[in-house]
Amino acid sequence: MSNLNIDSIKDRTFDAIVIGSGISGGWAAKELTEKGLKTLVLERGKDVKHVVDYPTTNMYPYEFEHRGEVPLTIQETSPIVNRCYAFREDALHFFVKDNEHPYIQDKPFDWIRGYQVGGKSLLWARQTQRWSDFDFEGPARDGFAVDWPIRYKDIAPWYSYVEKFAGISGNQDGLKELPDGEFLPAYPLNAVEDYFKGVLAKKFTNRHVISARCAHLSKPNQIHLDQGRVQCQNRTLCQRGCPFGGYFSSNSSTLPWAQKTGKLTLRPFSVAHSIIYDEQKGKAVGVKVIDTNTKAEIDYFAKVIFVNAAALNTNLVLLNSKSNRFPNGLGNDSGLLGKYVAFHNYSARISAQYDGLKEFKTEGRNPAGGGYIPRFRNIFKQETTFLRGYAAGFSAYRSSDRDTSQIGSQLKDQLLKPTLGPWRVGSHMMGETIPKEESYVALSTDKKDEWDMPLLKIAMDYDDNDAKMKADYIEQLTEMFTEAGFTNIQPNTASQAPGLDIHEMGGVRMGNDPKTSLLNKWNQLHHCSNVFVTDGACMTSTSTQNPSLTYMAFAARSVDYAVSELKKNNL
Amino acid sequence: MPSCSGKSGGASIQLTNLDIGADDEQLLAEIVETILPHGGDTMGAKDLNLHLFVLKMVDDCHSKEDQQQFLAGISNIDKLSKEKLQKSFVEASTEERLQLLQTIDNANDLDKDIQKFYHITKSRTIQGFLNSKYVMTDLKQYELIPGRYNGYVRVS
Repeated sequence: MSNLNIDSIKDRTFDAIVIGSGISGGWAAKELTEKGLKTLVLERGKDVKHVVDYPTTNMYPYEFEHRGEVPLTIQETSPIVNRCYAFREDALHFFVKDNEHPYIQDKPFDWIRGYQVGGKSLLWARQTQRWSDFDFEGPARDGFAVDWPIRYKDIAPWYSYVEKFAGISGNQDGLKELPDGEFLPAYPLNAVEDYFKGVLAKKFTNRHVISARCAHLSKPNQIHLDQGRVQCQNRTLCQRGCPFGGYFSSNSSTLPWAQKTGKLTLRPFSVAHSIIYDEQKGKAVGVKVIDTNTKAEIDYFAKVIFVNAAALNTNLVLLNSKSNRFPNGLGNDSGLLGKYVAFHNYSARISAQYDGLKEFKTEGRNPAGGGYIPRFRNIFKQETTFLRGYAAGFSAYRSSDRDTSQIGSQLKDQLLKPTLGPWRVGSHMMGETIPKEESYVALSTDKKDEWDMPLLKIAMDYDDNDAKMKADYIEQLTEMFTEAGFTNIQPNTASQAPGLDIHEMGGVRMGNDPKTSLLNKWNQLHHCSNVFVTDGACMTSTSTQNPSLTYMAFAARSVDYAVSELKKNNL
Repeated sequence: MPSCSGKSGGASIQLTNLDIGADDEQLLAEIVETILPHGGDTMGAKDLNLHLFVLKMVDDCHSKEDQQQFLAGISNIDKLSKEKLQKSFVEASTEERLQLLQTIDNANDLDKDIQKFYHITKSRTIQGFLNSKYVMTDLKQYELIPGRYNGYVRVS
């Protein structure tokens, strides 16, 4: 039990508590501390200090015992996380292994997690696009979920705010469906990506290939240098943690910035068990924490609480925050907490080759990954048999041919002097999925983990709309590739479970009506005004954009509101 | 890597799953050397201890079935050598070794274990070579810190 000694309570009392230190929690911490609030950041995993705790960051491929491959025993004990593209020998230590943190798949779901300071911001693919009103107006126009309580104009200044600090590279592309932002210079398209861009511009209306917008310092500004970050060195070894701070992460950027204010207390090894609700005061007063090392239960107190535990774990914490007032989870009068979760459909890819432009090759590595094709289906009006649409990645590289059919000195010559092969191109879909009531996360009633937390049950699945959209992606990309003269076009429609996209969202959705949503337009619980949710859990719909930039903007905007309300004694 | 620190008769590196003797290790060394020989002005597989790399990878990254076939294959390959060349692989000349392995590369009707063993060994030897410090630094094919990206480099 908690020690009720007055001094001890004082030591455990802060102005604000942030649950989670990932991409959105890091932003909440930065904003709260900059505004002068004494802030406690809770992180369930270990500490990861920028540079110091990136053990593999400067290793050459030959320094890895298995040259990057994951040993079979680890693959077999962690079959789920093993399906993640970044789960390799160089970044194993930043991923949760399946057997360490069990959950229940009511339907197949690959839950990819990073339990450490910085969370998945160390591991993310760093793609950053703004939403437009075609996204925010989606549910209202197409009749699903509930209307978003905000529009683009509400969040646009906060996109600008976070972009300037995080450092986002990109071009001003002038597309209504993908608003421009505060960009550092873009990473240019290569010869074949540029060529494909030209083909689409000529043969299609409204289909574009742009330089992928990403959170890399292509040319740092003073604000980035002030963070101790320098220009991205094109290593593309980001998942190891970057010694240059070349890409944005909580570890390289927001957390050290918050630390400099002297207002931050970071507590790793702290599972947030539940938010403590005071029935008399009618608001939350703190967070009950389980120390993962000692298993001790400790209560921390604050005036305002930000829940940024990552989409599904934020649902878990709120569902587990039960009181007389909220027997079904904090703020859950509507009974919708945990429902309407969704994800992104990444289940189709297509590759091909191009025999032109052989006078060119590339050198160095592109941290942006290449090109991005913004959504082009059903934007201005409904025009297909499925709702919504998909964005797509597009990239090209010049292959090298090595004939390995021989052995002996001939083989060695081939290995040491490869010849240039044709260009190879590839694309993957990023489809919007529709949040539905039957898609949910819920608490297990009988199974708990070693910290006495109920296991999370997860159920979401593809539907008919997703199947139609996937077929359309393959059809359209095949047509576009054919127009470009690409050959050997190979669609790959092998399905993957939801979750592997690592874009799970919802469960604590925003909305205008407290009867049909959990959060208001400020990411504030309708029924518990000093608790805010600004991570993926708040998402009313999913759109096609990589979501992290929107979480950052929500976090900064929401803190600004919360602190002004605190000052007015409204919380 | 230690070259002779193992128990007498055992492999020279510590292995968890593979039970392999010093003779087989030596045989494997000659096989990888045949695949990528020392010569010209470049190092070969034995110089780079690629036989030990193959063993390490098979030990840690392959299934039980692969491991069993690998072990059966390595002893069958010596039998094949005795059958075809009337001597063990280690006793055969460089040219004879090369020809024997080439027949495995081209044959479809051979012992399945030999084929599996050979396929694993060849691909792991190539991997180990391309990912060796020697190739990646001395022959300068890998940049840890490129510091640039150019998408329009004219091919000379």
